[in-house]
Amino acid sequence: MLDVYTWEPNANSGKPLFCLHEKAVPFTYHYIDMGAHEHHGAEFLAINPDGTIPAIVHDGFTMTESTPAMEYIDEAFDGPSLRPAEPYHRWRMRMLLRYMDNVVAPALAMIASNRLAAPRFIGQDADELRAMLERIPLPERRATWEKLMFQATAPADLAESERRVGDAIRRFDGILGRREWIAGDSFSLADIGVFATFYSLPTAREEQVNDAATPHLMRWLRTCHARPALQAALRMGKGFIAQRAAEIREKLGVAGAAAAA
Amino acid sequence: MLLHYAPGSPHSAAVRIVLGEKGLEPELHKLDLVGYEQHSPAYLAINPHGMVPVFEDDGRKVFESSLILEYLDDKWPDPPLAGTDPRQRYRARKWGKYVETHIAPHLAIARWAALHGKVPETAVAGLSNLLPARCELWLSARHGFGHEQLTASTQAIFAACKRLAADLADGEWLCGDSFTLGDIAVYPHAAQFGALGLPVPRAVDEWLARVAARPSVQAIRGDLFPLAVMGPEPGRWG
Repeated sequence: MLDVYTWEPNANSGKPLFCLHEKAVPFTYHYIDMGAHEHHGAEFLAINPDGTIPAIVHDGFTMTESTPAMEYIDEAFDGPSLRPAEPYHRWRMRMLLRYMDNVVAPALAMIASNRLAAPRFIGQDADELRAMLERIPLPERRATWEKLMFQATAPADLAESERRVGDAIRRFDGILGRREWIAGDSFSLADIGVFATFYSLPTAREEQVNDAATPHLMRWLRTCHARPALQAALRMGKGFIAQRAAEIREKLGVAGAAAAA
Repeated sequence: MLLHYAPGSPHSAAVRIVLGEKGLEPELHKLDLVGYEQHSPAYLAINPHGMVPVFEDDGRKVFESSLILEYLDDKWPDPPLAGTDPRQRYRARKWGKYVETHIAPHLAIARWAALHGKVPETAVAGLSNLLPARCELWLSARHGFGHEQLTASTQAIFAACKRLAADLADGEWLCGDSFTLGDIAVYPHAAQFGALGLPVPRAVDEWLARVAARPSVQAIRGDLFPLAVMGPEPGRWG
């Protein structure tokens, strides 16, 4: 029994979906509607008391850290290996995943949530918002949501997030100029970790990510978007993400876009 | 093989414990954190983040301490320390990450306050050599952390203690029935809680004693003292 409780094929939420499709492992997808704050509701908190997505439950064993969970999936199931065998390359895979998890993905999340989620709270009843905050178990997440609900993210923090994202785009373009895949000469969990957060950059940040500015990153994004398993995972989205992915494939000229729609 | 490390750095101690468990003896480059040698141009050329430890092997640099632990176990698998099955390995990796995002940064802040940390005038200029986020963290330390931040950091350590106690409810070790990289990643940090006056649950105290008894830990126990230095950035950003 393998159950994945998560939101869309996007960022941390999408990592197990991409990984399980690449391994061709069957699983049950339980959609947690983040927009409706289902991840802070009693039903999901019974699975993960931290109220963070994703949660992956394999034969009664619950995992709530998406990067270690991807390594678990790679170890516990058959299918193509998604980790380089050579120790230094494997370290590089983990180091770049750590960089995504701790630095890049939170910066992009801050920018995106301030643009998309924060405006939805304007004009809502402050007491209701406070009650929603009370249900968020982790103090650091509560603080982040509080800033979103009350439009209190510091401009300096948003600017720092922009700096971090710009740095990361340049860094990964450099890396992909030197090697075929993020961690080495084969597709790995590091590619999944970066793709889960970067897949939409050619449309979301087209002024920064395009053939002239970041040719190597674009080459890699085209190759990833053409992978049947990653396409299949993106099609699992129930909201706007599946449609957005089809638009990106069309923009990138990636075959299979029509079939995917 | 060369290890850049410093006494008083829990991250360095974790790497030295694994080296001891595996009987590896790399050349050692000891840095003086009291003298802020980690911010010197010579060391920043080795690690631009100005942090220890860094492990060099075959001319390649490996950093991020919990990932160094995994590298050492991948390359020298005897005796195996990553865990004996996928569940144990998941738990060891979960703790390796938790130490970085939820323990070390807050311990550093609590320690800075408890030890009345100060950046000496001679070390202030060196801060501008650091990468922006790192420089910002040290400038916050220099100005002193406010009451709110200190309370949050102390709470984070209490929360970590509760999680440690919960995972220790199943047995002697943090990740299951054998001693793993998870125990090693957390131990040097958790061993400082008591000295800073932070209460530690009994299950955690007993586990600390079990880890401390290992010869690999005994061999580096002189390095485990608390020192007023910054840790990694608190997770998660934003």
